[in-house]
Amino acid sequence: MLALYRSILYLYPAAYRGEYGDEMLEVLSEVQAKTRNKGALARVACAVREASGLLCGALGEHLHGFAGRYDRFSSMFLGGRFAMRSEFRFPKATVGLMLVILAAVMFTIEKAKAISASIPHANPPVGHIHPSQFEILPTLLLTMLSAVGAGVIGWAILFALRRSGIQQLSEMSPSAGLRARK
Amino acid sequence: MEVSEPVLLILLSLAEQPRHGYAILGDTERMTGGRVRLSTGTLYGALSRLLEDNWIERCPEQDRSRGRQAYRLTAEGRRNLQREVSRLKRLAHLGTLRVARKET
Repeated sequence: MLALYRSILYLYPAAYRGEYGDEMLEVLSEVQAKTRNKGALARVACAVREASGLLCGALGEHLHGFAGRYDRFSSMFLGGRFAMRSEFRFPKATVGLMLVILAAVMFTIEKAKAISASIPHANPPVGHIHPSQFEILPTLLLTMLSAVGAGVIGWAILFALRRSGIQQLSEMSPSAGLRARK
Repeated sequence: MEVSEPVLLILLSLAEQPRHGYAILGDTERMTGGRVRLSTGTLYGALSRLLEDNWIERCPEQDRSRGRQAYRLTAEGRRNLQREVSRLKRLAHLGTLRVARKET
């Protein structure tokens, strides 16, 4: 089981793993030693609890690393600067890009409203609609798939930004500067 | 600031004496009569937040040869814990009064 726990620990952020990984493994080995003499059911329950706890913990740490805590998030804006965690920084251009996208979306909505108002509504009113078949399930599936797709795309964008941010930070480090001078 | 039950139990465990991870797990289980069994992932998630917020600190004099690290409450953590316990006392008192009033 320790091998499984160790592999789940790799899902944690590297910084967190470096700080707490050894301690957690030590605690996990002690927990495992304690349940060794118990029944199979107790051992399985313990393994499920520990594995699910580690998985939830890994997810929580990634979310914490991504979004930061609420007070940090608010102080980031109240302080007038982007004081995000050092291992995760947005390039400043991202903020500008997001504002441009927001402006484009708002402009598109306004334009669509203007076009809609300019078209005369000559179509005859549609009568009561009778659904010909049960369509909730396909719609639900489609919605879920769309949500998953959007999530994957969002995650990919954030992952790419994070990678680029870390790369920029490593390029800014003094050792990298020295290497460049040589 | 309100804390969740697992965090409260961890703080109560450390309020008595410095403890390392496995000892905290055992103590929380004892305190709740086996009702709450924290997983290692939950424990260290809470410990890292408490360290960040300066509610607890690592004991520098502890033996780390076996990967064990003891934690203890800071003065700020103890103040916050006292505040939380007072809040829960008030809540329990109010709850007792309300329940008694309902039953009569």
